[in-house]
Amino acid sequence: MNTEVKLHPSTELLNQFIQGELSTGHSVVVSAHVLMCKSCGAKAKEFQALAVSSWVDPKLAEQAVESKPTNYSEMVANIVASPQQRSEAGSELMEVKLDVLDNSINLPRVLAKAAASGLSWKHLPGGISEAQVKLDDETQCEFIYMKPGSKAPVHTHMGSETTLVLHGEFKDELGDYGASDFIVRDKSHHHQPLCEEGCLCFAVLDSPLRFTKGIARLMNPINRFKFKRSLA
Amino acid sequence: MYRNYEKQLDLGAGIHLAGRLAAMDISSQGLDAPDSVESDEALLIAVGNEQDVAAFNLLFERFSKKLFALGMKLTRNEQLANDLIQEAMLNVWQKAPLYDLDKGSAQGWIYTLGRNRCFDMLRKQKRQPNCISADDIWPVESSEATVVHEDTSGQEVELRLIERNFDKLPAPQREVVEQIYVQDRTHEEAAAHLQIPLGTLKSRLRLAMTKLRNLIEADT
Repeated sequence: MNTEVKLHPSTELLNQFIQGELSTGHSVVVSAHVLMCKSCGAKAKEFQALAVSSWVDPKLAEQAVESKPTNYSEMVANIVASPQQRSEAGSELMEVKLDVLDNSINLPRVLAKAAASGLSWKHLPGGISEAQVKLDDETQCEFIYMKPGSKAPVHTHMGSETTLVLHGEFKDELGDYGASDFIVRDKSHHHQPLCEEGCLCFAVLDSPLRFTKGIARLMNPINRFKFKRSLA
Repeated sequence: MYRNYEKQLDLGAGIHLAGRLAAMDISSQGLDAPDSVESDEALLIAVGNEQDVAAFNLLFERFSKKLFALGMKLTRNEQLANDLIQEAMLNVWQKAPLYDLDKGSAQGWIYTLGRNRCFDMLRKQKRQPNCISADDIWPVESSEATVVHEDTSGQEVELRLIERNFDKLPAPQREVVEQIYVQDRTHEEAAAHLQIPLGTLKSRLRLAMTKLRNLIEADT
């Protein structure tokens, strides 16, 4: 039984996403959820339609004086001489083969492209594998694969962790999660994700994981160092 | 950032509400003179279907300053804002065949392209990884967009109008709007929180939306 009320980005977060105010990492995870979730997709399109009209005040734009007068006719001539795009750029879902999975799966295009940039999988205690993707300097982003019967070490987060379930299911003390669920955890949560049948997720962290129990605590300094290195 | 979260509509909730209110109008409004060569939509479609250079020139004239303003707002960099005019209008030419009315207003489509190019320009400047581009995060090609075709100068005004008129709603209606749009609750959760039947919540919400719409119309 799911005690978690919100498995979607909040209205505030969706609006920040549309306005382009989120880090690249957070923009990607919200974008992927929006693609997988009909109601958030519809919300996002409404916000988008309204947001664009508030970006530019037409009267202010008219008054804007550019620092150097520009003759645009050459620019326009070059533009119209270039070829137009005839077909749709590609579907919103792309098939991708990940090393940790036997079969290829369909992922939102933005994640498929991030995966295609080359993933190196690290295998952690409990049957969890992760592959980092560098998207910006503010977040640590990774694909996480929980193999059947896996269990992550109990941990909390000094910052926050946003997880999008891509395939399969996992659960923790607060609920059960399946494909397209959007889960945010922070330092008020101590949790232990468990997975029975295998699960693929994409996670965005904005500060290091802290393992709180057992031998996994030895990993804390390494994790922090790893994170600092990716910030450098 | 959020003033009195309990009592007032923040921008996100306001925008969400405005979207719902605008969507209520769609069926009755229809599109504005689609055959006229003056509308942005008609020009963009002409560029896409017929490579109409005169139409493109007209779009360029209409949007170059606006794109510059957008670039200044998003990058605060005059050089990038200048570059944006070329980057965005090049995209407009290249992708015009992919535009149709299902994707929303031409202005919205063009500004989205502009925003996406700003995002990529800033990332390039900061030497961020280029495995993904803004078009992957905010796709321009996907259809099923809400068809929003209305006087865009009214959009900004509408948000202020919503704030102003929200307080004029009767308390029971104001409460349900707050639950759904500010507190982000589902209908079931809101009904449970307010301790009213689900059916009552739904009809109060319907009444609230209609009343808000009428108040706003009376206000303009």
